[in-house]
Amino acid sequence: MKKVWQVREVSTLMILVLEVAFFTWYLWPSDGGHPFLNVGNALLILKYSSIYGIAAIGAAIVIITGGIDLSSGAVIGLTSVVTGYFFVQAEWSLTASAVMGLMVGLSAGLASSWLIVGMRLPPFIATLGVMGIWRGAGYIITEARFYDLSAKLPRNWTVAGVSIDWVPPLVMVTLAAIFQVLMKRFQWGRAIFAVGGNETAALFSGLRVGLVKTTAYVTAGLLAAISGVVLAVVQGQGKADLANGYELDIIASAVVGGTSLTGGRGSVAGAVLGALIFGVLRNALPQIPGATFYDRVIVGLAVIVIVVMDQVMVKRAS
Amino acid sequence: MTTAGLEFRDVAKAFGAVQALRGVSFTIAAGDAHACVGENGAGKSTLLKILAGIIRPDRGALSWAGERVHFSSPREALGHGIGMVYQEMLAFPNLSVTANIFAGREITGPWGRLDERAMRARTQELLTQLHVPVTPDTSMERVSTACAQLVQVARALAFDCRVLVLDEPTTSLTDAEVDHLFGVVGRLRQQGVTVLFVSHRLPEVYRLCDRITVLRDGQFVGTFERATTPSDDIVRAMVGREPPKRVPRVSSPVSTFAPAELRRTSPSSPALQVRGLSSRPAFEDVSFQVAPGEIVGMFGLVGSGRTEILETLFGLAVPDAGQVAVDGQAIHVRSARDAARAGLALVPENRQRQGLFFNLSLRHNLVLPLAAKQGVGVIRDAGEEAVARAQVESLAIKTPHLRVTPDALSGGNQQKIVAGKWLATTPKVLLLDEPTKGVDVGAKFEIHNLIRRQADAGMACLMVSSDLPEVLALADRILVMREGRLRGELPGAGATEEAVMRLATQEAGGTA
Ligand SMILES: Nc1ncnc2c1ncn2[C@@H]1O[C@H](COP(=O)(O)OP(=O)(O)OP(=O)(O)O)[C@@H](O)[C@H]1O
Ligand SMILES: [Mg+2]
Repeated sequence: MKKVWQVREVSTLMILVLEVAFFTWYLWPSDGGHPFLNVGNALLILKYSSIYGIAAIGAAIVIITGGIDLSSGAVIGLTSVVTGYFFVQAEWSLTASAVMGLMVGLSAGLASSWLIVGMRLPPFIATLGVMGIWRGAGYIITEARFYDLSAKLPRNWTVAGVSIDWVPPLVMVTLAAIFQVLMKRFQWGRAIFAVGGNETAALFSGLRVGLVKTTAYVTAGLLAAISGVVLAVVQGQGKADLANGYELDIIASAVVGGTSLTGGRGSVAGAVLGALIFGVLRNALPQIPGATFYDRVIVGLAVIVIVVMDQVMVKRAS
Repeated sequence: MTTAGLEFRDVAKAFGAVQALRGVSFTIAAGDAHACVGENGAGKSTLLKILAGIIRPDRGALSWAGERVHFSSPREALGHGIGMVYQEMLAFPNLSVTANIFAGREITGPWGRLDERAMRARTQELLTQLHVPVTPDTSMERVSTACAQLVQVARALAFDCRVLVLDEPTTSLTDAEVDHLFGVVGRLRQQGVTVLFVSHRLPEVYRLCDRITVLRDGQFVGTFERATTPSDDIVRAMVGREPPKRVPRVSSPVSTFAPAELRRTSPSSPALQVRGLSSRPAFEDVSFQVAPGEIVGMFGLVGSGRTEILETLFGLAVPDAGQVAVDGQAIHVRSARDAARAGLALVPENRQRQGLFFNLSLRHNLVLPLAAKQGVGVIRDAGEEAVARAQVESLAIKTPHLRVTPDALSGGNQQKIVAGKWLATTPKVLLLDEPTKGVDVGAKFEIHNLIRRQADAGMACLMVSSDLPEVLALADRILVMREGRLRGELPGAGATEEAVMRLATQEAGGTA
């Protein structure tokens, strides 16, 4: 049996804890309440991180098969538009509108996997194309307008007694738990790892490689669409240019969480922790006076430093 | 020939201009142990891949138990009980041994939930049965090549198979492991399993199989009864001419070649000197030397640390202790590049993983180590072509031209490329790890001659091989490893298989 500190996700968790400790210390106020360490801020971080985190689960799955999905940002954006359209324009219920939003992810996943499995395009190119088309569809639908969901959403909204603010983090944690178990304990997950580890061997072993890849891209599409619904509700908007460039942050979350871009290695729990690491950075950096113009640089450096640190810790543990 | 078993009828397959199979027909009786032999590139693996549903034949049909079958995917073939061990080892380096054995056919509960406990137990059973010294949870990337080969066998045995197909499963196994494997195959035969066995080791073919089918250049030559056919006849059928004469044993390192005097050079100036080399737990306190012009064979069972020694010498692993000197100069290699500069070359054991670039043409594969060693900045096509062509000719590599990538070659020809690319660097010390793995009789002869020629020209050769007859035929001196330590040294001339095996297998504490 592995020792606790040998579990891959633990080293990512440790980085998150170190990060939180650092900002708690650095932003320690000379008087009054802590600007970073308080329940309200924690909830804010969790809420916004879950938009990245949910999609990062799918990104990790695709990367583990040895592929890549560049379309997640576009899917998130178009999902907010489609959900907004049905909710605001067509006056459907929120649930029905959200289901229509999920179709955006399903269709993107099917399109990507058809291009990759059926047409044998490299995943980078296939999903780059899908990204462009799905992003563009949002502009065509909205014609530079946006759907204002906030006006129609209830105020002080609660779901089963908890504030709506808690729902996105709960969804993220639940999905992470489900997919973590699926990946580690179920045949489907094993097939994902096998295809990413050695595709030829997977084929020779009688695995349905094409089907396995299809399920990975469809799952990633659906998870990105869930992120899109969350974003639409959190922002109260359905807008074509939402989540622009998110795909790279989402992929970075997965990689920081220990997923190898060469395929065959990684975890969805790690990807969610990776998203939280970025969420904390994005929240804390603007609170540092004078850091405003440096935050992109700092985030870029952080990716490199974290991956290096992580490798050192993993080597130490084994 | 009792019941109708497996029948190939007029099976043909071409890869571009290469006609790999030209209408092959023969029958394997159910429950039979049948061998398929032929030179490198004769079409054996292609035939087996058709049987496994990986390749579709251009024409021809297969039937099994009198019924015409058609496998369009490996999954279907597996479903029909065709268990296959592929020549090119196909493992999932990122998964455990258990996961490798069950990949694609996991034992599951509802919804595909993995039953890890059942799979681990079954894996343990199979590993014990085959005497594989790894645990079910070991990560496959930490498993040595020979053990990995046994894991592939375990994979084929993990399920009820009615036809067990083995494509050169013994290339890096020593006799003891082959015995375990054959023991298991024998038991399966008693249960009525049909066995199809491909190997270049004719003694093994004779031990295991009742009938032998010979292919040559994609054509069926004949099916022979083991009992009534001497092995020379098989070799003649394989090569289509008189068999190459068995390499005469050079009884002493002194031969008629002028440079042979070099072999006698006083031990004070060995080409390679190793003192107290350790890399625990793989091997410990290993000391030996190799003189210029000498061929030293290193023999030992799987897991005795042979490969690790070569890899350490070549800078792929850092030793805990010990000194290495080349031509009397102490060297401290930290990388393969350092090693190549110091005059070492390594022909690695696993050509798929360590030997070949499948994205590069044969020409580029063949000149790469030379170019890296010389540090050539500018690529000169003509020069490269000449180097590559020379290797292809001297090794008789069977290829349409030099622009193909290695995956278009048969297994044995791939092996020759790996040997050739390092020979092109004309090193001072040549380290060889299973240099004739999977090559046919003729090519083996070529490679042996080549090694001998290099030695006669003054190169020091250290060869690890599991093929004991090969070690006996080629080595001037034999070092025997057991459990990470050097247990003894025998002169090549007088050594017998028994003497070597005794050293290699003795219980710890026995005398060396
Ligand atoms: N994918 C491929 N593309 C092109 N040519 C191929 C391919 N696979 C095999 N060949 C060619 O088909 C012929 C038969 O190859 P095959 O692998 O069946 O030989 P083999 O009898 O198994 O030889 P070995 O003993 O070396 O393994 C060879 O000439 C080889 O170069
Ligand atoms: Mg072959």
